[in-house]
Amino acid sequence: MNRRIKKLLDDVFQKKHHSLRQNIDEKELLHFTLSLKEQKLPDIIRAQKRLTWVLEKEDPVILPDEKIVFTRTVAKIPEIFTDDEWNGIKKTHHIHEMGRICNICSNYSYTIGVGLEYRRHEVRQALEKFRLQKEQRAVPFLEAVIRAIDDIENLADRYADLALKSGREDLFLVLKRIPRYGARSFREALQFFRILHYSLWASGNYHNTIGRFDQYMFRYLKNDLDAGVLDDDTALELLEEFFISFNKDSDLYPGMQQGDNGQSMVLGGVDEEGNDAFNLLSEMCLKASLELKLIDPKINLRVTKNTPIEIYDLGTELTKQGLGFPQYSNDEVVIPGLLAKGYELKDARNYVVAACWEFIIPGEGMDIPNITALSFAKVVDAAIKKHLGPSAGFGPFMDKVKQEIKLELASLVSVLKNSYTEPAPLQSLLMNGCIEQGLDVSLGAKYNNYGIHGTGISTAVDSLAAIKKLVFEERSVSANELIRAINRNFEGDDDLWLKLKYDSPKMGNDDDFADNIAVQLLKDFAGLTGSLVNERGGCFRPGSGSAMYYLWHAKELGASADGRKKGEALSTNFSPGLNVKLNGPLSIIRSFSKPDMKEIMNGGPLTLELHDTVFRNPESIRKVSSLVKAYMELGGHQLQINAVNREQLLDAKEHPELHRNLIVRVWGWSGYFTELDEAYQDHIIQRVELTIQ
Amino acid sequence: MKGIIFNIEEFAVHDGPGIRKLVFFKGCPLHCSWCHNPEGISFRKELMVSQTACTRCGKCTEVCSSDTCIVCGKCVGVCPLRLRKICGEEIEAADLAVRLLKGRDILISSGGGITISGGEPLAQPAFLFDLLRHLKPLHIAVETSGYASEDTFLRMLSEVNLVLMDIKHTDPVIHRKYTGVDNSLIMRNLKHLCEASVDFCIRIPLIPGVNDSRENMKMTAQLLKDAKNLKKVEFLPYHQTAGAKYGMVGSVFNPGFNTSEVVSIRKEIFEDYHIRVDVL
Repeated sequence: MNRRIKKLLDDVFQKKHHSLRQNIDEKELLHFTLSLKEQKLPDIIRAQKRLTWVLEKEDPVILPDEKIVFTRTVAKIPEIFTDDEWNGIKKTHHIHEMGRICNICSNYSYTIGVGLEYRRHEVRQALEKFRLQKEQRAVPFLEAVIRAIDDIENLADRYADLALKSGREDLFLVLKRIPRYGARSFREALQFFRILHYSLWASGNYHNTIGRFDQYMFRYLKNDLDAGVLDDDTALELLEEFFISFNKDSDLYPGMQQGDNGQSMVLGGVDEEGNDAFNLLSEMCLKASLELKLIDPKINLRVTKNTPIEIYDLGTELTKQGLGFPQYSNDEVVIPGLLAKGYELKDARNYVVAACWEFIIPGEGMDIPNITALSFAKVVDAAIKKHLGPSAGFGPFMDKVKQEIKLELASLVSVLKNSYTEPAPLQSLLMNGCIEQGLDVSLGAKYNNYGIHGTGISTAVDSLAAIKKLVFEERSVSANELIRAINRNFEGDDDLWLKLKYDSPKMGNDDDFADNIAVQLLKDFAGLTGSLVNERGGCFRPGSGSAMYYLWHAKELGASADGRKKGEALSTNFSPGLNVKLNGPLSIIRSFSKPDMKEIMNGGPLTLELHDTVFRNPESIRKVSSLVKAYMELGGHQLQINAVNREQLLDAKEHPELHRNLIVRVWGWSGYFTELDEAYQDHIIQRVELTIQ
Repeated sequence: MKGIIFNIEEFAVHDGPGIRKLVFFKGCPLHCSWCHNPEGISFRKELMVSQTACTRCGKCTEVCSSDTCIVCGKCVGVCPLRLRKICGEEIEAADLAVRLLKGRDILISSGGGITISGGEPLAQPAFLFDLLRHLKPLHIAVETSGYASEDTFLRMLSEVNLVLMDIKHTDPVIHRKYTGVDNSLIMRNLKHLCEASVDFCIRIPLIPGVNDSRENMKMTAQLLKDAKNLKKVEFLPYHQTAGAKYGMVGSVFNPGFNTSEVVSIRKEIFEDYHIRVDVL
């Protein structure tokens, strides 16, 4: 990282640019919304007017030394419906999250290549066609798209004027070329991306993902390198500045938590023809992320059976920083999984991840991959209470669990009717086919599937394993005794509670007794979702992610048969139970690769936690890489490793029961952190403070 | 053949190449005052109690029927936080091999294998050699103090792929003072190791004021300078956490040296002999 980048980075950290943000009165926002209502405007016009309002209000800002510009000064975006109107819509429609387009991936590449004027030409052609046909819906939609193009070009012009006034001829030249015309250089392409991405956020769309950046930007980089316009250092410098831009306005982006903004970047994997596509830019992105240590963009690394261990090493170097990425996904599992759900081969090979881990198709997918979540723990709880007593054996009981999954799915899906999403003219311009068909993307794209998270898988599996062992095999506990104990939150049932919590088989120990239950449970989940169709004709995709549902679902649940007491969280994503002490990472990756993850193709990673001292030297980095590779070779679909940091150690000290598997390297040996005496724990925490840099 | 072990670790990253499982044999003829695995010293099972999270609920004392611990294990199962365990498991070599070989494909494809540590693996020679027979042809490393009969040591050299051997001190008197045993046997075995055709690493626990002097380092380096299969020397600087587990096995950490003294790391002495040094 050179001095210029260091300064840009420091400025962003210190939020210097926040002082440039405009003071916007809530009244002004309300006034805008109210005027839309008073004019009785249709939603597509309202969406267009909102983008116009925001972009016209924006003040161009060129920060010192900046080569890639566009900084938000309008911190708030108005609604397009008044509260009353919105409540009315909600009464008759299913609304996903905020009711806006989110969590999909644009086709940035095409527009960056041809420029907005060429896109305008395409939109006009479509408009003429639909005008002749007197198509009622397409005409205002396409007019709104043209207005979005105008708005972006106008703001770019104002930026260009400011550049000229500020003596920044370099910037002026870039902005006179793009976004009107196609990018010719790496710098122009990066600036063009920034303008499009910025404008998507300004539209009110969120979780605007980045996609296969290393693929669609590579040609610009290569041209510049070949022509000698850039060398490796100047290219990296530009890329780093570009990465910093993702962190400038991210506090304004909607999400569950700060940082939950969906700026996912996907590197590597196969190209549309099936050839390995990891390239110089993929590597450069990993390097930039490693140097900057910023939480955005969030790096995802696609791997194939041919991915060399050295590429995993680059990923592991990044993991070492403790940022929680890269998240790895396995092309050998994900692509067949997508094909089986009806995705075309070319599209499946182009998959990216949505905000978290869901596999979606850039430019083609209007999938809502997080539309709802099935709580496995709840399903098992229902099955226990209704059917455990009368069940003649574990097999028949599992049939009842399957029946409960079916009931729960039916109930979850039944509310997903008459969905409504605000129109998104700019987003539609960046999705394939919307212009030609004259249809806003909120009404659908090539793929319109829904994803269902599966939460608390380990809690459910561990509960079922305990039941199989104690109720049906040992017959040491009766169904009624178990139900009573669960209902009483194990008050007065210490013996049973200890047996369930500590002495029953657990998922993650490479023990078929428990793992085969997971295999069955996920197979049932996949089978049962397979027959569901959504109102857009799309399918339902089963997943192993939990998002924040692991807390929400825990709240609606009492104690569970794995010895989990009421109020304790469920396991996160596709991971072992929180308070379960296991043999180690090899057992975990073997357990969690036994289910057929091709069928659980909505995604949701196995998360492993390794102490950051495990990443000490090149040899141990390589071992972590080998562990990741091994999971992929075993048929794992997605994996993310945390290098455990100080905060986690402090939490482990406070709540040792939640961190039983936290391994720390202490002198020449490894031990379980929670087993150490306090003085030693403190010492390690201190040491981590020093080593984490 | 049965032996006694006290732990299996699945992802040992600093104990030989590739992904390795690490098995700890229980029992050691040495009693190094800085030992960080005090539960590895005794050849017998013992009760280990983690005091940190104990809430003093008293359930363990309710079931205890003996004045001194007889390692019956009754208190283990009643602890609501499972802070107690019986350390030490007697196991047939064949059964241990089955456990270690589970998931062997991962070990093999990463260029790893099994590391046998302790305690002192050579202190249970029949068990060790029986185990090795079952583990072959996997890559095997043995971590040893070198304190074993020459016959046992030589046989071990002929049956494993990598040896990780400690050198604590070159001076026999100091060695005896801090480890409880004389080092002449260790020195003879070191000579065998230096002449053998098996790859090896030397590990030196750097103990402040005990063995980190220039003279001792120089003596150690000279012992190693002509060894043709020495891959590297690894320094394990003494760390304050070494005493962590003493309380758990009911004993007191009494190292006999100033633990807060800064340890000297003299890599250059070895590097002058073209010996690579890693600090772990």
